[in-house]
Amino acid sequence: MNFAELHDELRSVARDLLVKDADWPLLVQAGWVGLHAPEQFGGSGATFAEVAVICEEMGRAAASSAYLGGAVLGIGALLALHPNEVRDQLLCDATAGNTRVALALSGDSAQLPFELTTTRLGWRIHGRAAFVPDAAVAQRLLLPATAPDGAPVLVDVTADAVGLTVDNQPVLDETRQLATVTADGVEVDGAAVWRFDGDPHAQLRGLADRAALAVACDSLGVAQAMLDATVSYVGVRRQFGRPIGAFQAVKHACADMLVRISVARQLVRAAVTAPGPTTTAMAKSYACDTAVAVAGKAMQLHGGIGYTWESGVHVYLKRSALNRSLFGSPASHRARLAERYQ
Amino acid sequence: MTGLDAFRTSVRDWCDQHVPTDWRAAQTGVIDEEFVSFQKAWFAELHRAGYAVPHWPAGWGGGMSVPQQIVLYQELAAHDAPRLVLAFVGIHHAASTLLAAGTEAQQRRHLPAILDGEIWVQGFSEPDAGSDLAALRTAAKRDGDTFVVNGQKLWASGAMHADWCLLLARTDPDAPKRHGISYFLMDMTTPGIDVRPIRNAAGESHFCEIFLNDVEIPAANLIGPVNQGWQVAQATLGAERGMTMLELAERLSNAGFRWLVQACAPADDALVADRLAQFEIELAGLRGLCRDLVERSETGQTGPADASIVKLYYSELLQRMTGFGAEIGGLRAHTVLTKPASSGWESGNWMLDFIGSWEWTIPGGASEIQRTIIGERGLGLPR
Repeated sequence: MNFAELHDELRSVARDLLVKDADWPLLVQAGWVGLHAPEQFGGSGATFAEVAVICEEMGRAAASSAYLGGAVLGIGALLALHPNEVRDQLLCDATAGNTRVALALSGDSAQLPFELTTTRLGWRIHGRAAFVPDAAVAQRLLLPATAPDGAPVLVDVTADAVGLTVDNQPVLDETRQLATVTADGVEVDGAAVWRFDGDPHAQLRGLADRAALAVACDSLGVAQAMLDATVSYVGVRRQFGRPIGAFQAVKHACADMLVRISVARQLVRAAVTAPGPTTTAMAKSYACDTAVAVAGKAMQLHGGIGYTWESGVHVYLKRSALNRSLFGSPASHRARLAERYQ
Repeated sequence: MTGLDAFRTSVRDWCDQHVPTDWRAAQTGVIDEEFVSFQKAWFAELHRAGYAVPHWPAGWGGGMSVPQQIVLYQELAAHDAPRLVLAFVGIHHAASTLLAAGTEAQQRRHLPAILDGEIWVQGFSEPDAGSDLAALRTAAKRDGDTFVVNGQKLWASGAMHADWCLLLARTDPDAPKRHGISYFLMDMTTPGIDVRPIRNAAGESHFCEIFLNDVEIPAANLIGPVNQGWQVAQATLGAERGMTMLELAERLSNAGFRWLVQACAPADDALVADRLAQFEIELAGLRGLCRDLVERSETGQTGPADASIVKLYYSELLQRMTGFGAEIGGLRAHTVLTKPASSGWESGNWMLDFIGSWEWTIPGGASEIQRTIIGERGLGLPR
């Protein structure tokens, strides 16, 4: 089976499953949690290209799921680490659905949120990460921290550790579960300080890019769902004796939605195929802007019904706007690109 | 090194040796004759290298694979090569029409001639048939072995230099409008043809009116069946759109964006830097769309509105980008009174490129027509 066929099949399975809310056991059972983990750790040995398909479908369904925090980032972070026995065991437990992990990467800041210090009592970790996806449901938290030698590391902390608090952060988008993770002098065992495989700065940057790209994929799905819903609605809603989709003002607005989505799809595909700071910044910026514009136009073209709670268009509009701010605003990603013009 | 990498290297080497470095300066403010001779010489140069008609079948002098054509246009753009302006209709529209609907005699007569520099013009639009092209009224009446043509064509780009014309004319005034049109190959030296240039908004005069007064076209120069001209035109008009758009997208992304960055330097203003980055992103998206379109065209997997999406997005991005260039260029941009001939819309002479960008949003199906096509054929919205 070639990759295109694999992706089509994955997409169709995802679409069926995500009709209902995707709770964690279902994701584990579908093999999505460990999709990109090697088979020796209970994973499927797939790549980020397959993860991207699931992310897009999550967005299309506006699924209330911990896939982003628990699988894309949690498992993704473990895979970026230098192998060790505890990590390997945690990977196996996580892909099997026995233990849930989250990477405490700030959703609103590129700074390293935690600091690891040595005291006469041993290692301690301090810091705070805000807007962390799916941290409240995790049993193990991976805290990105600066080690005393200046290198970024991940620190493995249990959710019930003394000095660690994980506070649910309610947001308007009810499909996302965000939390604030605070470490106030949490005692850390030396064996829980995990080094990255290879260049730690590059690895950490890669995780942040992966988070941004996963959100871009999600936004692409959001935008596509809103276009599909709008096209289907304006084809049946009649006013002035004809379907409103026959009016040029409506038709042309739909055409503009399709054009933007087509461009976003190219940029997301380019970033998934060749991940890197430039391709990711382009995809995140454009796809997330697009989803907000498309969901907003969808609400407009659904008319009064679109503004009701019941229609559900607001769910997509809120998710698209949250996605836009999560892991770097479009403007901040464009600023990264613009550094290259100097 | 893969075959494609080796090919890229060979194109690069060729470009380094053959692309004239000073052509933009040399082509600025030239008289028409110099433009024509430069274009013909550049076409001949490309032809000697096998780069003039890469999309034609191998038997006629082309036969380059789609991935190779992509590389070719990427490298020509990266080396800021002159654009083939004069040969455009011949190598694209005329050739695809001849190959799809022409008789063997017609192909033999014209395809080699195009390679030798025969210039073509498209005689489609009329004063009352613009977006509604099928409403055209130029009449061709059969008289034995000839058709006698009377009428007026408009927006015929480059008609004053053309040797031959792709002509749509009405052969059955009583049939429904799309079923009474025939497609002709018209020799521009035929008596009764009067070409008058129209000065466009940018001050150039490459658009022409063509007045046709009892022009006799031999019946042998009919292409496709009588009254099937609309169908022939529909089948062949969009055939080359993918690769020609890819070429334009590459040019805009190379020279066009490079000049925009230079115009903004130093890009230390955050708002200016943000606009630049947005253009870079959109150009990357455009190039992706074009590559995707040509790759899927090869396997016959294009959607009914894909070409419209690319045309609409390119033309509006071009307009926004050149408009920004004019804005950032300030009053200085207004002091540049001419732009180089043989360039596209990426000359970096922002005001003239900006004014010229309407040449993309209006012809070839105006943006409004493209949006309707995208809505109806791409999304299945009701008519």
